[in-house]
Amino acid sequence: LITMTAAALAGSVVDAIELPKIIQLRPNLHAAAFGLMKLLPARCMLDRAADRGELEPGSMVLETSSGTLGLGLAMVCRLRGYRLTIVGDPAIDVRLQEHLRQIGAAVEICQRPSAEGGYQRARLDRLAELRERHPRHYVPNQYGNADNPNSYGVVAELLAESIGSVDCLVGAVGSGGSTVGTSSYLRLITPGLHLVGVDTPGSVIFGHPDRPRQLRGLGNSLVPPNVKHREFDEVHWIGAAEAYHAARGLLARHCLFMGPTSGAAYLAADWWARNNPHAKVVVLMPDEGHRYRDTVYSEQWFHEAGFDSCSVTRAPTVVDRPEPGPSGWTSMSWRRRSLAEVLGGTVPT
Amino acid sequence: MTLFQQDIRAAGAGTLRYPAPVTPTTARAGVSRAGGHHGEILQGVFVNGRKLRRGLVTLPCELMRVTATFTPSRSGGVAVRPAWCRKAAVAAQLTLAELGQPATGGTLTISSNITPSRGFGSSTADVTASIGAVLDATDRSLPHAVIASLAVAAEKASDSLMYGDRAVLFAHREGSLIEDLGACLMPIHVLGFGTSGDGHGVDTLAMPPARYTSWEIEAFRTLLGALRRAIRLRDADLLGRVATASAKLNQLHLPIPRFADILTVARNSRAVGVQVAHSGDVAGLLFAPTPSLSFCTDRAIRLLARLGIRETWQFRAGR
Repeated sequence: LITMTAAALAGSVVDAIELPKIIQLRPNLHAAAFGLMKLLPARCMLDRAADRGELEPGSMVLETSSGTLGLGLAMVCRLRGYRLTIVGDPAIDVRLQEHLRQIGAAVEICQRPSAEGGYQRARLDRLAELRERHPRHYVPNQYGNADNPNSYGVVAELLAESIGSVDCLVGAVGSGGSTVGTSSYLRLITPGLHLVGVDTPGSVIFGHPDRPRQLRGLGNSLVPPNVKHREFDEVHWIGAAEAYHAARGLLARHCLFMGPTSGAAYLAADWWARNNPHAKVVVLMPDEGHRYRDTVYSEQWFHEAGFDSCSVTRAPTVVDRPEPGPSGWTSMSWRRRSLAEVLGGTVPT
Repeated sequence: MTLFQQDIRAAGAGTLRYPAPVTPTTARAGVSRAGGHHGEILQGVFVNGRKLRRGLVTLPCELMRVTATFTPSRSGGVAVRPAWCRKAAVAAQLTLAELGQPATGGTLTISSNITPSRGFGSSTADVTASIGAVLDATDRSLPHAVIASLAVAAEKASDSLMYGDRAVLFAHREGSLIEDLGACLMPIHVLGFGTSGDGHGVDTLAMPPARYTSWEIEAFRTLLGALRRAIRLRDADLLGRVATASAKLNQLHLPIPRFADILTVARNSRAVGVQVAHSGDVAGLLFAPTPSLSFCTDRAIRLLARLGIRETWQFRAGR
């Protein structure tokens, strides 16, 4: 019988890096640290589409993204032989645009936000035009595609094998894929798993009024269908200053070099784990710090932007309604309610 | 070989090995035993590269035993007693062919205490013991993987009984190993019972295989991850959670009656989990072998009786 696993040879860089490293930060706090988390849903959405016959080499993949999903898609499309057009907005920094083009993706930038729905709406409108123009296309639609949350089964497998029963999962929410997907699988083993969603002030996902957000990589100006509100037990809204400080703290304390979205998730998870010392906590960290060397991790930028002198809170202000609070960090007991129930203030039966 | 020596062999008393028969006229009886099982710890579809494979992890059950005795002969074909053990005869014939026809036929006798079609793996046990008996009679051996493929050829789908009490994820419709979980199960106490009330099982192979959704396919891999950990760390509680989750997922495809009530009994009797034969009417409550075990099983028996389930049995699996 074969029991040993041979040293693995990856068939591609996607196979090599799509899974997170599981790192124990403290006795009850574990990080699932991804190099590029969106690679996993990108790969799964495209592979499942190919399995269904909706995609074949030479097909045109169209997607709107201002973040790392575009990079994940670009890598998979390049390796699988699909053409790709990414519709983004000025939030895609120039370096990422160059990187995307260097691996063969076309990048279109919407320069102006729509009056309602912001850049998100403008990107979706442009996407609709491109769909008209390319009859043989496939739109992964990470916000509504079930293969996005389903792609995190392999992460749950890894967590179940390395940690076993997980009592609390903390993750930033943008499309809902990682938090809703991973928790749905971990709850097979631990039905009572406490799911903490991390959002940012001004994001409408958990009911804040829409306003411009300084922190990118989480939050949304539309509510994605993949966010299943009834899965969440608790929600935190974390602002840019708190997230940046937390990311730098993660580097200083644990030598873990991650982006500000990971910093925000870590801030909430660290607080939750300290308050629940007997619970096993896992925090999802979606990307590394390299893209933020000139900002969050630049001493000069950090100082000039005023972040080194601003005061950040060490604990959330607990709120009972999803409204912007007095500080850059609020939290609310969500109790697995729908958004309508929470906004209407009704208590679930 | 004398009749006396044959009897010793048939009783399984000796470790003596005779040389392989030089001619078929020196034919002697070969004997082999196989255990049954008590359904599955985990059953589903598993991602294997870009392929999906149906597979299961069996819960072995020592209460169930089959003994097969095979006496080779020059006659054409294998005669089997009792006559309805057809698959066992086919398995013996296929094994002889695999070995290059050291005998052209023989007499196969199956002695089994396993009730067919309840989910105890009676058919695979017959087949596995028969293959073993042919190997014993001819003084030959075959790798587990070959035995598994012979078993599937004889009976369309096979359980993993040829691997003994080793915990393996087995592709029962292909007859091959998907993954060796590295050890046997940890000691676990099983309180078994029938779920159909009338003790009638299910004709497994007459049923279409379950069509799982893509969410469910990913769910099974999470359960497999947890099971690897449970077996590595001898964690009976985690094993019980895996079995319960597998039973819940399969409940959507092959429902067993009063499943919700059985889950409640498990909770109220401090069972670590519930396992079911996904292809029969057998189910079991799993208990960690703690000092309060008999208190818990007594309570479970009383609670099951209130559901009308009065026939129960108990055994210890794993080591």
